[in-house]
Amino acid sequence: MDTKFKHFPPKWADRFLEFYCAPTKLEQIQGDAYELFYLNLEERGFAYARFRFWIHVLSFFRWSNIKRTKTYEYPSNPGAMFKSYLKIGCRNLLKQKLTTFISVFGLSLAVACSLVAYLFIEQIWFKGMLQPNKDEIYQLTYTVEEADGKVTYGTVAEPIAELLAQEFSQIKSHTRVRQGFPVLIHKTDSYYQRVIYVDPGFMEMFSFRMEHGYAGALQEPNQVILTYELAEKLFGDASPIGQELSLVIEGKEVQYKVGGVLQKLNDMGMFNFDLLVNFESIGFSSDKLPLQEAWNAELWTFVHLEEGVDPSQLKAGLHGLKENQNQINPDKPYLSLDLLRYTDLVYQIGKIEGGVRDFLGLGPQILLGAISLFILILAVFNYINISILIASRRLKEIGVRKVIGGKRGQLIAQFLSENLLVCLLAVVLGCCLAFFILLPGFNQIANKSLSLDLLHNPYIWTFLIGLVVFITLVSGLYPALFISSFEPIRILKGNQKIGSKSMLTSFLLTFQFVLAIIGIVAGVAFVQTNRINGNRDWGYDKTDKIIVNVPNQEEYFTLKDRLLSMASVEEISGSHGYVGSFPAEREVSFQDQKYKVDYLEAEANYSSILDMKLKLGRLPDPDKISDQREAILVNNEFMEDLGLIWPVDASFSIDSLEYRIIGVVEDFHSVYFQRPIVPTIIRASGDSTFNYLTLKMSPGTAVSAMDLVKKNWRESFPREIFEGQLQADVFDREQQDTKGVQKILLFAAVLAVLLSAMGLYGLVSLNMSSRLKVFSLRKVFGASQEQLSFGLLRRYLIIWMIASVIGGALSYFVISLFLDSFFAFHSGVGALSLGVSLLLLLLVIFLTVGGQIWKVLNTNPAKVLKAE
Amino acid sequence: MKRYHLGELEELILLTVGILDQEAYGVSVLDEIKRQTGRKVNISAIHTVLNRLEGKGFLTSQMGGATEERGGRRKRLFKLSGTGRSAITEIKELRNKLYDQLPPLALDFSHGY
Repeated sequence: MDTKFKHFPPKWADRFLEFYCAPTKLEQIQGDAYELFYLNLEERGFAYARFRFWIHVLSFFRWSNIKRTKTYEYPSNPGAMFKSYLKIGCRNLLKQKLTTFISVFGLSLAVACSLVAYLFIEQIWFKGMLQPNKDEIYQLTYTVEEADGKVTYGTVAEPIAELLAQEFSQIKSHTRVRQGFPVLIHKTDSYYQRVIYVDPGFMEMFSFRMEHGYAGALQEPNQVILTYELAEKLFGDASPIGQELSLVIEGKEVQYKVGGVLQKLNDMGMFNFDLLVNFESIGFSSDKLPLQEAWNAELWTFVHLEEGVDPSQLKAGLHGLKENQNQINPDKPYLSLDLLRYTDLVYQIGKIEGGVRDFLGLGPQILLGAISLFILILAVFNYINISILIASRRLKEIGVRKVIGGKRGQLIAQFLSENLLVCLLAVVLGCCLAFFILLPGFNQIANKSLSLDLLHNPYIWTFLIGLVVFITLVSGLYPALFISSFEPIRILKGNQKIGSKSMLTSFLLTFQFVLAIIGIVAGVAFVQTNRINGNRDWGYDKTDKIIVNVPNQEEYFTLKDRLLSMASVEEISGSHGYVGSFPAEREVSFQDQKYKVDYLEAEANYSSILDMKLKLGRLPDPDKISDQREAILVNNEFMEDLGLIWPVDASFSIDSLEYRIIGVVEDFHSVYFQRPIVPTIIRASGDSTFNYLTLKMSPGTAVSAMDLVKKNWRESFPREIFEGQLQADVFDREQQDTKGVQKILLFAAVLAVLLSAMGLYGLVSLNMSSRLKVFSLRKVFGASQEQLSFGLLRRYLIIWMIASVIGGALSYFVISLFLDSFFAFHSGVGALSLGVSLLLLLLVIFLTVGGQIWKVLNTNPAKVLKAE
Repeated sequence: MKRYHLGELEELILLTVGILDQEAYGVSVLDEIKRQTGRKVNISAIHTVLNRLEGKGFLTSQMGGATEERGGRRKRLFKLSGTGRSAITEIKELRNKLYDQLPPLALDFSHGY
């Protein structure tokens, strides 16, 4: 009995049994197998026993005995699980304050930028879509056959609105809408204001939140409803209700009382207006007109159908109305009269003539969208890089969780939930940032009144939730998948290498640098362009000139005399339009060819007052009658474009009148630098009255004389609006615009640099702290400072070089394209902007990495090495 | 009446477990069958049948009786359950009933042999 326990069953068979056998049966089976083995050993010897053991093990290899992975349903408690995930997440975030700050700050900046871009784009695409009745409102349109095919108009004959309401029971309310730009007079001040004339049904169809008064105020024809902004401008803090104001509509002054004030529209209203006026209160209502004239008057007409009414039910009635109109107005037969969904208006831009929406403005949308996408990518990449590195410090946690049975899905869920926490924090912060800093700034630059209206705008919520999900998944999915894929054994043995030198990190860093380079190049090139354009010669002397408008031709001469009698006015000249206003276009015939050219009519002395530079020939002579009949002055571009050689004897015909070129002036800019110089004609007109006067002042007096000019002007036109300005200010608005874009671009460039610097800093400092021991060892063994620093810098310098090549080439193409689309005259992408951006980036790298190197060089290696 | 379907080996093993009373487990059943009938049955077949019979409710089991030969592993000890006993009884009665109906072994040439 003692001897038999020196022998053991064959090891491999035993292992095989343990390998396949179901754990619940293993004890029983293995026990019996052992017992039989020792029985056999006693009876027939070791070899036989071994053989029989093998046979037994193999015969036990049956389906019912084999271990299978069974899906057990364990009762789980996801609530508690998530609670603990969140708690761990919070603790981790708090533990890594610096990197958390980098991620959250970067992401919230990105969120803020995308919010502003989103609001800007929303305000174009979802304009008017906050109306609760939007699905039941329709606009009437008609289609006619014209010379170049079918054309659809957004306006319909005025009486149709009334007829519709009488004819159809399905129409809840209807309104005519007509835009106007009359002068508003309040006390002694007068302004041009955007008005829409509407029927009282307008306020039933569209619902507006009221700041003061009530929505039904338009039922009274002598009441108006103001926007918040206008009420604030006119009355300040005083209560606006019941205040009086008047509008000058087609020459007649009409008195109104303020019946209500709307709350801020935040650019989300479909119509652009400052006040709403009852249609009936104004003279041009068609009731008193003869039938045909009434049908000739066209305006926007909207109807509000009862809920659930299909617009096709109105088809027959509309057809009848169409026949009616075609009888009254046989010159312009409608092909069809249709209802256009209110919600489809935005998609019909460009397809409907005279529609409510006529302009989409894709350029700024693309610019803003691209910038915010840039920033978002930068921030997200920062986050990815950092979270992979941070995870390398949590390898043990991951290993242990896996060993005690944590599933991969659970790990992913945990990391994603931590991500979600960061994203939520970033979105909340981003909203604050956008609300308090970015939006007010942007509104000022872009002259908008966008606002983050979380209470009333469901679209913003959709966007924000989408943004959270997007950022969480994009920034978190890869790190979560990557980290959770490690094998626990390798982690716990300490074999798992991670992060610091991975291809992905280098790739993301390169990409960030490329974006930063593009951002800086755009900013620098734009500034450079603005500087060049600021100093650009306008082609004439813009100093000491004042332009004033002449609203009424009858007062022309008295005004002219009055102004001329001022001491500081040296000379005066009338013109139709002026250099700097958008020019008129005319067709010129020359030797049977037709050319489109810019055309300006002015008194003979206009060109000499503006000090245009004469190149060839002479300027028109005010005393020569023949000059006023047939003389034209052209610019240099005209000569080149038409291929003319001075002197030109042939005559030109404009509107079948013959003209001769008496002189050529150097090119001048009549439109801002977005437009190239085009062939231009200045005609010395014989007309005696003009709609603008240009005053040449004695040097240095223009600015100070402005008030006096205005005073004199007021004596001629006490109720009109004074539009006087300096000749030097004619491009003011364009300059403001480009300054605005410049600010946005510089802001984006600064953000891009800041974010890449922060990301780099986070990356380097995390890397550095995990490799501090290596550096200390190298120092102990005598590595020089140069060797150490170069070793640290090398990787980033290589990335910088790759990014420089890619970013330089990319920005050269992209930014050139961008500048071309913006300016006819620009600096282009030159050595300066490229050089500045590359060097700036290099500097950023040196500073961030250098700071860390400094730290490493100054640590005492003994301390680091002794620490463990 | 409830029917018990038992195979030949199942019946044999069920009876053996009953005979062994408290001491029935894989190897002892194997030995007992060999001793009583001289029939060699594969140990794994015995295990399968034992588990199957337990699944059908004819046997109950518990773990116990570790020995040195088994390397300290416990046995699964099987015991006849009430159902198992009535199943054996029923089968025996059925056999007897059928046996009793066998015609006497007489030289009856009525079949034409």
